Amino acid sequence: EAADKVLLKTPIAFGTNLPALGTTITWVADRLDKVSDGTIRMKVYEPGKLVSPPEILDAVSSGKVNSGYATAGYWQGKIPAAALFSAVPFGPEAGEYMAWLYYGNGMSLYQEMYDTAGYNVHVLPCAILSPETSGWFSKPIEKPEDLQGLNMRFFGLGASVMEKLGVGTVQLPGGEIFGALEKGAIDATEFSQPAIDTRLGLNKIVKYNYFPGWHQQATIFELLINKDTWGEMTPGQQATIETTCMASVTNSIAEGEAMQFPVMAEAKQNGVEIRYWNQQMLDTFQEKWLEVAAEKSAEDPFFKKVWDDLSQFREGYDLWEANAFLPRKQAN
Amino acid sequence: MHDNKKLPAVVLADRIDAVIRRMTLGIGWCYVLLVLVIILQVVLRKGFSHGLIALEELQWHLYAIGVMFGLSLAQTSDAHIRVDLFHSGFRTRTKRIIEILGILLLLLPFITVIFIHSLDFVADSWRINESSSAPSGLPWRWLIKGAIPLSMALLALAVLSRLYREIVLLARGE
Amino acid sequence: MEANEILVIAMFLSFIALLFTGFPVAWVLGGIGIIFAFIGQWADTNLDTFTGLDFLTLGLVVNRLWKIMDNWILVALPMFIFMGIMLDKSGVAERLMHSMQELFGRVRGGLAVTVTAIGIILAASTGIIGASVVLLAVMSLPAMTKQGYAMPLALGTIASAGTLGILIPPSIMLVIMADQLALSVGDLFMGAVLPGLMLGALYIAYILVYGLIKPHAAPVPADAKPVTFGVVFNVLRDVLPTLLLIVVVLGSIFGGFATPTEASGVGALGATLLAVYNRKFNLKVLKDVVAGTTNTTAYIFAIFIGATCFALVLRELGGDELIESFLTGLPFGPYGIIFFILGVIFLLGFFLDWIEITLIVLPLLAPVISALGISIDGYGVVDNPELVWFVMLVAMTLQTSFLTPPVGFALFYLKGVCPPGVKLSQIYRGVIPFIVLQLVALLILVFTPELVLWLPAKAYG
Ligand code: NA
Ligand code: NA
Repeated sequence: EAADKVLLKTPIAFGTNLPALGTTITWVADRLDKVSDGTIRMKVYEPGKLVSPPEILDAVSSGKVNSGYATAGYWQGKIPAAALFSAVPFGPEAGEYMAWLYYGNGMSLYQEMYDTAGYNVHVLPCAILSPETSGWFSKPIEKPEDLQGLNMRFFGLGASVMEKLGVGTVQLPGGEIFGALEKGAIDATEFSQPAIDTRLGLNKIVKYNYFPGWHQQATIFELLINKDTWGEMTPGQQATIETTCMASVTNSIAEGEAMQFPVMAEAKQNGVEIRYWNQQMLDTFQEKWLEVAAEKSAEDPFFKKVWDDLSQFREGYDLWEANAFLPRKQAN
Repeated sequence: MHDNKKLPAVVLADRIDAVIRRMTLGIGWCYVLLVLVIILQVVLRKGFSHGLIALEELQWHLYAIGVMFGLSLAQTSDAHIRVDLFHSGFRTRTKRIIEILGILLLLLPFITVIFIHSLDFVADSWRINESSSAPSGLPWRWLIKGAIPLSMALLALAVLSRLYREIVLLARGE
Repeated sequence: MEANEILVIAMFLSFIALLFTGFPVAWVLGGIGIIFAFIGQWADTNLDTFTGLDFLTLGLVVNRLWKIMDNWILVALPMFIFMGIMLDKSGVAERLMHSMQELFGRVRGGLAVTVTAIGIILAASTGIIGASVVLLAVMSLPAMTKQGYAMPLALGTIASAGTLGILIPPSIMLVIMADQLALSVGDLFMGAVLPGLMLGALYIAYILVYGLIKPHAAPVPADAKPVTFGVVFNVLRDVLPTLLLIVVVLGSIFGGFATPTEASGVGALGATLLAVYNRKFNLKVLKDVVAGTTNTTAYIFAIFIGATCFALVLRELGGDELIESFLTGLPFGPYGIIFFILGVIFLLGFFLDWIEITLIVLPLLAPVISALGISIDGYGVVDNPELVWFVMLVAMTLQTSFLTPPVGFALFYLKGVCPPGVKLSQIYRGVIPFIVLQLVALLILVFTPELVLWLPAKAYG
């Protein structure tokens, strides 16, 4: 029996012109077509062309479109736990994150989250971004007090941490960051990785670029497929999409790891100060993050369920992590 | 700017329009509130280096309410933009028939589609008690989303009033 | 031709045809969207198309409507409208008219120059075309008639000066363009300052030259008094509060003290204070301003809402690809394509106005422009300089749509307040030279992108 052809209409959250954030889905669309011998095709819609990024989950769930590509952090106003499947402050790096997702309880909790919240979607991790930068500042930040009173663009769970340190956070869309920063409407910003931030021209205005991105060590991008559409596919088609997404995870890590250092070297030449947070700052961020995580766990049972499971997995992983790897090169 | 053109009187339609006008003009004061909220935010941000995200969000809440319910005000005052080129030369009877057909074939289907789909949209938001995605943003997003079906219902009422008025006037030969 | 391409063209043609029935533009857009969604669904089963359109897909209209509501850039729009209507009632313009008239009293065409100068000042403090045209007409048309101005010159001056506000910031058109193309409002505002002033200067130069060539068309009043220090002082005194408002609003945006939204709120408050200062403020005025703001904002947003439905269905029918491949396939080279696009917008401007063009046509064009590969060097500090420049070209072209018959809103507003004796044909005749001036300005902008980009670049420097 010949499988029916599937056309996945896929609105996305970041433009395909943005490396890693957007190029990954172009890769998926291209591969799906080839791997499936044309029985699965994906039509990618640039952000806002069909539906704007924050509306993707709703649109896929209700079947207005049959799929969408975004990162779950966008839904944290709808489902608090969603942020944990996007990026976790002081959270796992890509390897550990994948270990929890694919071989721990991660994937089942991920799907359970959407099911419990009543969304009619099937979720597949379909890319992982390597670490982001911690942000761009106009002055050196040596101690927590230096953050007091700043207005900053910040995404996801890390924003709650910054708020605890006296930072007013806003979530500007990528296109407005440069203008807001230039005009002083915000004093500092984080957006993404060096290769992407450069596209926005942030280095033209603010010179202090802080690392490591404690708030986003690894960021998962998800392919959401309407559950009815998913159910109508043959097992072969489902496996094709699953496998292509897993391949995309590999591809995205490789792309992300490869493209940052040339950009950073060039930025350094153009006078950008690449700084590594001092221990006091890192400790402060972490302390505040644990407070935030405790508060969120108290507020939302499902957040607690995921957070506890992830934490338990990571405690176990620590034994391996502490022994398995060589020490890293030091930044300074 | 469009002045309120007086439409010929039809008792029931006049009453409905009057109620809608009073309501929407009242809602229009949210723009004055919006001025005040913006000023407050500027003062907090510039004077005390501490803007509030909640105030930032309150701004577009107020704006959205003004816009959505304003649609009905503009409908009762016949302010929606028309291309007058030929229209002004048509006979009154022709104008009425155009208005009736336009309402039945274009406007009411449009309002109906938005209204029906907005019910699910609001219900979803209510089910999960959606709040802002910013940590210190406003809660109860379903409340502002509820403005869509409510304002569409009000607009439908205003449109039906106009439809009734046109039919009565057509029958009367006015 | 493919079936879906026929549907795209049919959709456009139905829109234009129904537009001329005089049914509200917003509802024509929305209704056509719904009708063609169902035609698309029918075509999927009966013709060889794959639009995927159906009742369920139409639900995306609600998600798109929500993004219009949940939009912090557009908050500035009702605020600038509030500011404009309040300023209209504040008595500021009357005082300016009175004092500036004496300043230019002895120059040929001085009264017309005054009207243009006030037009520029009004433009920089608001962007409500209707209000500006009506205000300028009511204040100056009787005076110009009395002085014996040629009717077409007087009418053309009022209509053109009144429409400057759509280009000179703050401008609600630029706010909407920034939103549609993900550009910075501040960049567009700054980019529009010099082109706007240049256009105003061209108007004034034209009036002065015209006065020299045809003295009878723009006479000097018989009782013109010499310009004394007192006259200059009066002008300064009357213009100062308004200038202060302009400096506060535009200055705070350009200087980085405030976002455009914040500046719009401050401007609304400032206009209210000006009304208080001129003793024109009371509860009735505030009520009128609230009603006017609610009404005006609503009819602009109605078109937003209708257009979002229209654009969604057009996109699903494949309209985007059709237009993009058509434009990029033109054998003209980059500048040729730009001229072609501007030409099309100019022609569209005869029967569509800026809102529809900005909401439906502009987003279709942005990818085409980016793909042209034109690069403007030396302005790397401005985010996306090519697009900012192109937007300004479009803005300048749309400026003419207010003046081009048959659908030119400035003409409608003007006709509405003219004495019965004034014929529409006189208005048409009067605006022709000003349309030509706008096209000249457009041509200058095409070849001097510096005029657009210098100020935004300066601000970052
Ligand atoms: Na303006
Ligand atoms: Na026109």
